[in-house]
Amino acid sequence: MNLTFPHRQTWLHRVNPAHKLMVSALLFVLVLFTHNLNVMILLTAAALLPLLFTGHPPLRLLLYASPFLLLFVSSASGMMMFGTGDTVWFRYGLIRISEESFYRGLHLGFRSLQVAAVGLTFALTTRPVALFYSLMQQLRLPARYAYSFLAAFNMLPLLAGEFLILRQSLQIRGRRPRGLKGYYERLRMYAIPLLAQCIRRAHRTAAAMEAKRFGSGSGVRTYYYRYSFTGADVWYAGYIVLSSVLAWQLGQIGPFTSAIDVR
Amino acid sequence: MTAAASPVAVMAERLRLKYPGEQSPLLFQGLNVTIRHGEKVLLLGPSGCGKSTLLQVLGGLAPAAIPIPLKADRLIVPERAGYVFQDPDAQFCMPYADEELAFALENRGVPQERMPAFIARCLEEAGLKLDDPHTPIATLSQGMKQRLAVASMLAVEPDTLLLDEPTALLDEEGTAQVWDALRRIWEGRTVIIVEHKIGLIADDMDRILLFAPDGSFEADAPPDVIFRDCRSQLQQYGIWYPGFWEDYAADRLEGHLPKLVAPGTAKTICSAGAELELAAGSAGIAGSTDMEQTQPTAPSAAAQQAQPQSADSGSAQLAAAAPAPLLELDGFAGLRGRAAKVRTGKLFVYPGDWIAVTGANGAGKSTLLLAIMRLVRSEGRLCLCGVPEQRLRKAKQAAEHAAYCFQNPEFQLVTDSVRDELDYSLPDTLQGEIRDAHVRQLMSRFRLNGLGSRHPYQLSMGQKRRLSVASAMARGQRLLLLDEPTFGLDAAGTAAMMEHLEELRRDGCAIVMITHDGELVRRFTTRHWLVEDGQVHAVPFTAATPSAASTTASLSFKGGLPE
Repeated sequence: MNLTFPHRQTWLHRVNPAHKLMVSALLFVLVLFTHNLNVMILLTAAALLPLLFTGHPPLRLLLYASPFLLLFVSSASGMMMFGTGDTVWFRYGLIRISEESFYRGLHLGFRSLQVAAVGLTFALTTRPVALFYSLMQQLRLPARYAYSFLAAFNMLPLLAGEFLILRQSLQIRGRRPRGLKGYYERLRMYAIPLLAQCIRRAHRTAAAMEAKRFGSGSGVRTYYYRYSFTGADVWYAGYIVLSSVLAWQLGQIGPFTSAIDVR
Repeated sequence: MTAAASPVAVMAERLRLKYPGEQSPLLFQGLNVTIRHGEKVLLLGPSGCGKSTLLQVLGGLAPAAIPIPLKADRLIVPERAGYVFQDPDAQFCMPYADEELAFALENRGVPQERMPAFIARCLEEAGLKLDDPHTPIATLSQGMKQRLAVASMLAVEPDTLLLDEPTALLDEEGTAQVWDALRRIWEGRTVIIVEHKIGLIADDMDRILLFAPDGSFEADAPPDVIFRDCRSQLQQYGIWYPGFWEDYAADRLEGHLPKLVAPGTAKTICSAGAELELAAGSAGIAGSTDMEQTQPTAPSAAAQQAQPQSADSGSAQLAAAAPAPLLELDGFAGLRGRAAKVRTGKLFVYPGDWIAVTGANGAGKSTLLLAIMRLVRSEGRLCLCGVPEQRLRKAKQAAEHAAYCFQNPEFQLVTDSVRDELDYSLPDTLQGEIRDAHVRQLMSRFRLNGLGSRHPYQLSMGQKRRLSVASAMARGQRLLLLDEPTFGLDAAGTAAMMEHLEELRRDGCAIVMITHDGELVRRFTTRHWLVEDGQVHAVPFTAATPSAASTTASLSFKGGLPE
């Protein structure tokens, strides 16, 4: 099973992964405290822009982003149609769109889109190996956690392959239990063989890692990859700071002229 | 080799150990082992006697890293032990080959700037040629993965190599490559091996330690002595040794094989011999021939001369007289994505056929069987028991006519007990008493008596395999498709499985079986399909007449051939 797709390496790949992770987390905190719709829209635009520099073709990006676009539409429309507000624009049965709920809905939609865009940019430009090496080197993550995660990542494609075999085998057996009980039954049929296999494989992988002196090595770890801060980090940090400040400033002016605070 | 003079590399005195858990019995009761530096030692014993655990103890992996309750008066373990394990997929914790090797180097604190050269050297010594060491491990073949495991063992610069069935999951080519690589590097190092497929390495060993099922020493001697003096034990424990199949066949002819065979099955093989005799006879060969003898190709080669057609045109000709084919393929292709992974010409399978499907790992053997079962997309003509592909849209429909067994039986067993498993597979039309009777009948037919309430995962490998065949065939299908049915079985299990399939074949089933084992192809199957370059070729080796003849012969046999 192949779960990775070929793509170009860009300057975003060269940004230190730990740095990228911290900045993404800070951006999340920033949007939590953003209640101005204009600022939110501009922040979202600033978060979507780097996606074009991830080195993945635009169509594939659209495919990756499709669940988030759906999230945007559903959360925005939900809040718009069923939220509270005084200035009612439209009413039909249960649906009641007011000015306040309209802006609040848009705000919510853009907020989820912004978080998704930042997360997607991070995921598309960071190999797990690079992330954990960087976490070990920059943030002193203990090696035993870092390599355990990496070993677990390695098992995902195998797990996916086994899932397919299991599905084929259940297709042959032919019976598809129906209803709520059937759902539980199917879950059990998949989960138990997969878990049994995983536990066994985890045990074997652990033994193989120990056999390579993982736990009993020299005590001083060296690293095959070294991560430090480079020019790319300056560009990245510069872009994020500048775009956020600009968003805050320009957000006071437009694009919407009224009802800028959704609280 | 003057091993006696060398210093002790590994030693255990009065070793006692058990698996965790209160009820589990002691695995070794006061075992004494001494292995000197530079010795090559093979640990041989029946499955479950604790060889792999012992290997982990001798290498110092247990109890330091793998906690096992263990006591020993004295335990000397090597300073730098290197391991290669069985499962190519569970040995690696990094996604790329160079990163995996670097992992071992990092653990030892090798400076970063020395790593690339070190990695290149390890790969070269292990005989693994990669254009770029930064290659995803997932793109390597199983044989290459095991050589990568050898390379990463070299990265710890071991003085002792501990090999835990390193070739158990490989095809013949991969097996040979891995042993070649190991042979190049093991000079001057102590080597301890646990392995079942010992044909390629037995001669390289200085000593073989033979274990009894309870973990006690049966013998400790050079290979030639073991294979000369301990044959009865080897046979009794069901352990492979060079010449196992010859002895097996000879015992078969004499009509006694104490442990392996349930009464009555020996007879079947004799009658299979009679069949072949008939086949040979029809081709104008006199005298007694037997498929269990050491030159099984002789009669069929002669038979081919008499009837120089390809296997399938041969059977097609006789098809008019023989019963209708269970499987017809014509211009059939199994697809992976949009591309055809494997293509066939015109192929037929008749009742009484036993077809071996061989080919390298990844050649498309499994895809072929999956396509027949409608589990992957296909094109071209397929006819299962007279039902054309238009009416076989879903796997469920194909499963009415053909049974399929996956390589790993555990993925096929979905309920909590053997009885439920069989019950689950039966058609809904059977109810009450009749249904129970069917379950009981299946259990006795597949020798699962007394195991009805056992959880499928608690069965032995051989029993799991039989249960998966039983549940696959519960609907009375007469075509059986098997993906490596002897995978993971020891010699005794393999022989028993083969006898069982032979019984099914005698009852008029047809078997299509993927295998890597040339001995099984030669000794048991009646026809041979070779998958090569995405094309299925019918190999006319034992094929031409026996396939057709076996159907006709089994008919005439039922008509009252003397036993």
